[in-house]
Amino acid sequence: MKTKSFAVKVAGEGSLADSIIAQLRETGHQLEDQSAVHSNFDIVIETTNLDIDQKKKLLVEIEKTLPKETVILSTCLGVTATETASWLQHPERLVGFAAFFPWEDCELVELAPALQTEKENVEKAKQFFEEVGKEVEVVEDGVGLVFPRILSLIINEAAFALTEGVASAEDIDKAMMKGTNYPMGPLRWADHIGIDDVYAVLAGLFKETGEDRYRPAPFIKKMVYAKWFGKKTGRGFYQYD
Amino acid sequence: MTIQTVGVVGSGTMGSGIAQTCVQHGFRVLLYDLNDAIVQKAFTQIKKRLNRLVEKGKMEEQTFQDSISRIETCTDLSLMKACDLVIEAVPEKINIKKEIFQALDEHCPEQTILTTNTSSFSVTEIASVTKTGERVAGLHFFNPVPLMPLVEIVRGVKTSEDTLKKLAQFVSSLHKDPVVCEDTPGFIVNRIARPFYNEALKIAGERLAKPEQIDRIMKKAGRFKMGPFELQDLIGIDVNFSTTETVYNSFFGEERFRPHYLQQRMVQSGKLGRKAGEGYYRYEN
Repeated sequence: MKTKSFAVKVAGEGSLADSIIAQLRETGHQLEDQSAVHSNFDIVIETTNLDIDQKKKLLVEIEKTLPKETVILSTCLGVTATETASWLQHPERLVGFAAFFPWEDCELVELAPALQTEKENVEKAKQFFEEVGKEVEVVEDGVGLVFPRILSLIINEAAFALTEGVASAEDIDKAMMKGTNYPMGPLRWADHIGIDDVYAVLAGLFKETGEDRYRPAPFIKKMVYAKWFGKKTGRGFYQYD
Repeated sequence: MTIQTVGVVGSGTMGSGIAQTCVQHGFRVLLYDLNDAIVQKAFTQIKKRLNRLVEKGKMEEQTFQDSISRIETCTDLSLMKACDLVIEAVPEKINIKKEIFQALDEHCPEQTILTTNTSSFSVTEIASVTKTGERVAGLHFFNPVPLMPLVEIVRGVKTSEDTLKKLAQFVSSLHKDPVVCEDTPGFIVNRIARPFYNEALKIAGERLAKPEQIDRIMKKAGRFKMGPFELQDLIGIDVNFSTTETVYNSFFGEERFRPHYLQQRMVQSGKLGRKAGEGYYRYEN
């Protein structure tokens, strides 16, 4: 196990945090849990998506314990990096990133600087992700960045089609895999990612743009209220034991 | 009644692909087109493709001989009366399709199932020119037909359960996977796949990421086999744009399907993708 150059803290809700922690442990990073009070971190990763108020509260609290050089990597699934940075005392330290669960499956992580981000912090973030074995693509800041935004809209359309009775969930998934080579059917994929994170992207895009194109399918919204988050809660578009 | 003879109306890419797949799985095929030159050319193409399978050692010489002996060609639509199932695969012009279905409905005995390979029109509209509509359904194959395992079986408003059941059996006997869906715009695949292209175009249009970056991200973060821009280049940007326009119009202008002007500019410029030597990427030869 080679020595790693960053001390990392992972905070936040959603499926992503646990899977990031698991991988960092494997690669021998110095890890602290969310409750650790000491401030000796190079990087803090924050992954709350569904509850934006909670995300804000958490980041404001965490920042109080950090020296101003610490870089904060925060998911921009439901909110832009720029808005997230605006909550901080030192907005220049924030770098947005996007990934969907499961973390170990993505070869590549998307990074997005906020308008306020200092360039050297983007470089530091890039270096960190490359060190844990991810390729990095730097894109402009926007809710859901690229992959989560496109996939969430595909899932949304599949949910609309399902509730309109176009076909069964199984047939919709089968059709997308066999008719256009998708690696997974969109409804089962949503169950794997977590319906909460998919909804966070849709609701965030809808709120940010006001465009009807991003309106979450009513069924997805209901699933969030009912806590049908997918595989992790035993129920999503499918049922799990 | 079991299906033994399949009529294929239209011998273009889809029609000849469907005919080839049918004879490879033991069905007799009657392939129709407007004149003999067109339909003979299609027959020659099918023979060539099957012969290539023999050359590659993927098909026995005897199987090849048996397969091509099962194909007959014709230019008279009334001969379709000898078929248990007819699959229409002519160009996407609603008036032509309606004329064909009217003729088929007159000539074919009651038990003949009549299907359309349309991807743009409502099956219910096409069925409206037949007496009952019960024996009419959509049978939507994907290009290239011999390779793509999915067939969407589309239930028109008046399609009978018996018709759907027989079609599902038929699709399975081609060793393909049937899914039954309602007669709604884009059916399953062409509808749900729209955001893959459309949202990628919107992201590129907002200058959040470049097409090459979006392709890399979708493959490496999303595990898609191809990115949305290279896939448009492969399909043909004009073909992709026209599918989006059709779905958008069929939903009466639903904003989720709104086409992007960037894609229209590509079509207008003639940069249609691989077939034009240039699309979002450049291709040698």
